[in-house]
Amino acid sequence: MKRIHGLCIGLSLMVAVSGCAGKDNLIVLTPDDSGRVGALKVSNEGGEAVLDREGQALHLGDRRTSPGAPAPFSDEERALFAAALAAQPLAPVSYLLYFEFDSNNLTAESRQRLDDILRAAQERDSQDVLVIGHTDRAGEADYNAALSLQRAEAVRELLAGQGIAAESIQVSSHGEGNPLFPTADEVAEARNRRVEVVVR
Amino acid sequence: MKKILFFCTAMLLLGAFAAAQTEPAHIGRVKGTSGMVSIQRAGALKPAFPNMKVYLNDTLLTGSDGAVGILLEDNTLLSMGPMSRLALDKFDFSPAQNKYALQLRMEQGTFVYLSGLLGKLAPHAVSLDTPSGTISMLKDTNFMARFGGDE
Repeated sequence: MKRIHGLCIGLSLMVAVSGCAGKDNLIVLTPDDSGRVGALKVSNEGGEAVLDREGQALHLGDRRTSPGAPAPFSDEERALFAAALAAQPLAPVSYLLYFEFDSNNLTAESRQRLDDILRAAQERDSQDVLVIGHTDRAGEADYNAALSLQRAEAVRELLAGQGIAAESIQVSSHGEGNPLFPTADEVAEARNRRVEVVVR
Repeated sequence: MKKILFFCTAMLLLGAFAAAQTEPAHIGRVKGTSGMVSIQRAGALKPAFPNMKVYLNDTLLTGSDGAVGILLEDNTLLSMGPMSRLALDKFDFSPAQNKYALQLRMEQGTFVYLSGLLGKLAPHAVSLDTPSGTISMLKDTNFMARFGGDE
């Protein structure tokens, strides 16, 4: 029994030592575009800890080691993430293109956004461009379903003509059912006559 | 000769049909790589390249000079530095059915996580399995994490 006891103390010492040596695991919150951070909880066999502030890190051991309290995040620690930060992809970006009344002709202003879309696709080496057509509520719903698809297809052709591979473009349409600015039926609303382009 | 041609066409069609039947939907894409980056899928290791689709149960691995960034379908952006391993254990982004789940296993390495729609719409559906324990999201957030591995 004594021997088992001794073994246990020995083992727990080893665990404690390796726990200290292994405290190089860490997690730190980073702000979003508006400068805000949220909150995370770490839980394991040793307990749990909450992280909810920028500039504070949880320094962690293995699953048996209590997560402890948040502590400052050093510049040396930040440097560990240089390669992962450099590999961070660009976030998807979306554009709204507007149309003339009852037509699949882009407004003159929206026509000029096509260059921006092309540039965004090149920057992202994108093979994943979503083109989603919409109408306002003037006219029959069936007619608008067809019109929203025609609009989306017109945009697909324009983008393909600019050099975005046609097979990278996925077209869908929502008719009058997904307005940006909800109106009563039969109301013509220029801000709803649109195609959304998402470059991923 | 004609018969062989017919047979080949039939097999091709059958193959295409089978692929269409069984191919699961991808959950994201590799967006950028540098150095050695691979994907472990169904026991096989294949090199990762930009715009390659990633699937549920894939594991991403980087070598000592490797780094990779991926974009998931809900717009979550994940990147990792050298000597890193990340398994994609669970992903469900179905707002129409109100179904959300994101479970990642950060086995080793350095990670940068930029939250997407899953974090915004359902932070409690996001969890990470790590050598230090389970990380659960309480409130939508971006974060970075580093793990030295299990030993």
